Amino acid sequence: MHEDYINIILADDDEDDRLFFSDAFDELKITTRVKTFNDGVYLMDYLNSEGTVLPNVLFLDLNMPRKSGLECLQEMKKNDKFKDIAIAIYSTSASEEDIEKTFVMGANIYIKKPNDFKTLKKVLEEVVTINWQYYTNGLNKDNFLLRL
Amino acid sequence: MPTRILNKSWLIKSIFFISAFVILVIGGTTYKKIEDLSQSSALLTKTYKTNVELEKIFSHLKDAETGQQGFIITNDPIYLEPYHTGRENINYSFAELKVLGSDNTTLQNNLKELNILIDKRMEYFEKAFRFSSVGNYEDQNFNENFSNGKKLMDTIRVKIKGMIDSENQLLNKRQQTYDSDLKLTPMFLYMVLLLSLVLMFLTYSKIISDLKKIKSANEQLEIFKESTEQSEIIGKQGNWIWDIEESTFIYSDNLYRLLGEEPQSFKPTLDNFLNFVHPEDLEKFRKDIDRMMTYADLSFIHYRIVQKNGATKHFKACAKLHKNVDGKKQLLGITTDITDEIEHFKTLEERNLELERNNKELSAFNYVASHDLQEPLRKIQTFLSRFEDKEASKLSDSGVLYVDRIKNAATRMRMLIDDLLQFSRTNKADKAFEVADINTLLENAKLDLAESITDENAIIASNHIPSIKVIPFQIQQLFSNLITNSLKYKSNDRTPEIRITYSKVIASEEPRILRPKKPYYHKIKFSDNGIGFDNKYAENIFVLFNRLHNKHEYSGTGIGLSICKKIVENHQGFIFANGKPNIGATFTIYLPFL
Repeated sequence: MHEDYINIILADDDEDDRLFFSDAFDELKITTRVKTFNDGVYLMDYLNSEGTVLPNVLFLDLNMPRKSGLECLQEMKKNDKFKDIAIAIYSTSASEEDIEKTFVMGANIYIKKPNDFKTLKKVLEEVVTINWQYYTNGLNKDNFLLRL
Repeated sequence: MPTRILNKSWLIKSIFFISAFVILVIGGTTYKKIEDLSQSSALLTKTYKTNVELEKIFSHLKDAETGQQGFIITNDPIYLEPYHTGRENINYSFAELKVLGSDNTTLQNNLKELNILIDKRMEYFEKAFRFSSVGNYEDQNFNENFSNGKKLMDTIRVKIKGMIDSENQLLNKRQQTYDSDLKLTPMFLYMVLLLSLVLMFLTYSKIISDLKKIKSANEQLEIFKESTEQSEIIGKQGNWIWDIEESTFIYSDNLYRLLGEEPQSFKPTLDNFLNFVHPEDLEKFRKDIDRMMTYADLSFIHYRIVQKNGATKHFKACAKLHKNVDGKKQLLGITTDITDEIEHFKTLEERNLELERNNKELSAFNYVASHDLQEPLRKIQTFLSRFEDKEASKLSDSGVLYVDRIKNAATRMRMLIDDLLQFSRTNKADKAFEVADINTLLENAKLDLAESITDENAIIASNHIPSIKVIPFQIQQLFSNLITNSLKYKSNDRTPEIRITYSKVIASEEPRILRPKKPYYHKIKFSDNGIGFDNKYAENIFVLFNRLHNKHEYSGTGIGLSICKKIVENHQGFIFANGKPNIGATFTIYLPFL
């Protein structure tokens, strides 16, 4: 039964965003298991603890207290254990600098948080249904930022 | 100039030696000539004397003959007087002639012959006396003796005449030599004198012309010195020469002034100079001076000095090792007062720091605007969309209207924030210029706007544009903004058309480019068939937040074209708008050849 679920994790310090995120997956007709964490420290503690089921896709906010999204990304890329997780950057801003930096550090996709709920649902559906292996092979700096 | 004169001194030297030689030659030749003259004159006198003596001999002989004849006729011994004295005188003359002819062998031989003849004649005289003393005049021997005496006398006459002739010939020859000597000597002396005069004149004129040159060179040096002094004062520079071996210094007047002292008011020595050097810089200064002496060329050294009135000045000095004419090592140096420069530099540095701080604050503000300001807005919008989805059906008509108004306001707020961000991010700093295919950038811009282009059925036609050195994403933004602008202000009567044309132009031939920075420009023209605008707003439309239309008619923030202008200006280019109401608008971009 486990294998039929897509495991999804969101690390975001913003309560509202976590709510939108969970609501969006609730309304989508995809069988997913969504876990959310309040910041990078909670996230990494969870990922590093034994017996944890690693997520298929990890959504990572950049601006978080205690441990930022960038720090989490850095730690995960150092550890071979996490190499199969697709990492989606999930941020309010889409500044050139952030996009460039996260691409170089090995994130798989960059999502600018949408302004309305319908778009949010569309974006999340698209991202969780991506064939990551195929997508990652053709990844470059231009298609790194998700455009809808 | 002075070196040229120095080099020419060999000329004067050689003229001097030639002149000295000529004068020596004149002296020698004159001595020789006078010697020759006196010799010729002595020879002449000798010849004359010889002739006179010969004449005397013949005349004495004649006297003797006459005396003999008188005696024979009268038998009076008184007639024998001239005969006796004649004989004596002839002997005197012979002695004289022997002395005179000591260097003349022909004369000596002739004299010997003559002597023999005279002796024979005398013998005949004696015989004749013997005959006459007995009165035997009829004797044949007497007659024979007499006639022989007569014949001998003729022979003697001929002989003496021949001798006198040969002496005369010698005399003539000597006379000629003497005459020619006499004639040539003054001529020769005169010529030689003339030559030495010419040489003297040459030397004189050479010295005078050299003196003139030296004088004018001196004048130029004087002028040069004066102008150097002026430029030293204006440029706040001082010169110094350091004779390393003798450890002596020469300071220029202005170096004293730079030290705050009266020119040449103290002895220029190293120790006296060290007194002025700032105590903190003293050790470094000494080391630098040592290095100066070791290496021929030295880069600038920097140090501070303290004037007597307490003012600290910043100095910069450099020196070059030089060997003077005598091969002595000299250090030629220039010292400059750079206090003003350093103070300007400090002010500039402070201002730069301030600017840097301001820039940091601005980028911090950018971050706040992009992140912190957008986040609550995004939530308002998302919650609104949730509210609409779930609760709209429960609202009254006015409730729906209010929600709609809130939505519009939020959308506008987002547009404003996005555009402002775009504007503030459009700066040149650390954006790399690269040669980019402009056609691709245009295609990318069209791709970004594909949806609205399709919606409007817009036609966008463009020429081929060559690759240009630009900040690529900014040019794409520029194209995107211009197309958006054309689509927004389309005419409702016709299908929107945008024509993009390219040409290469010379700045001076484009009247709208007032102060070109480069000679050649790329000219890219966007022409549309939209609603256009009154040309009196052609400049205003680029001003931030400036809008020609009410926001209810056309959405927009008034930032899009300002961004266009900023991008073009980042590229040192120009952008101009040209509008005709209801016909269309044209935007012309000039980008320089970099």
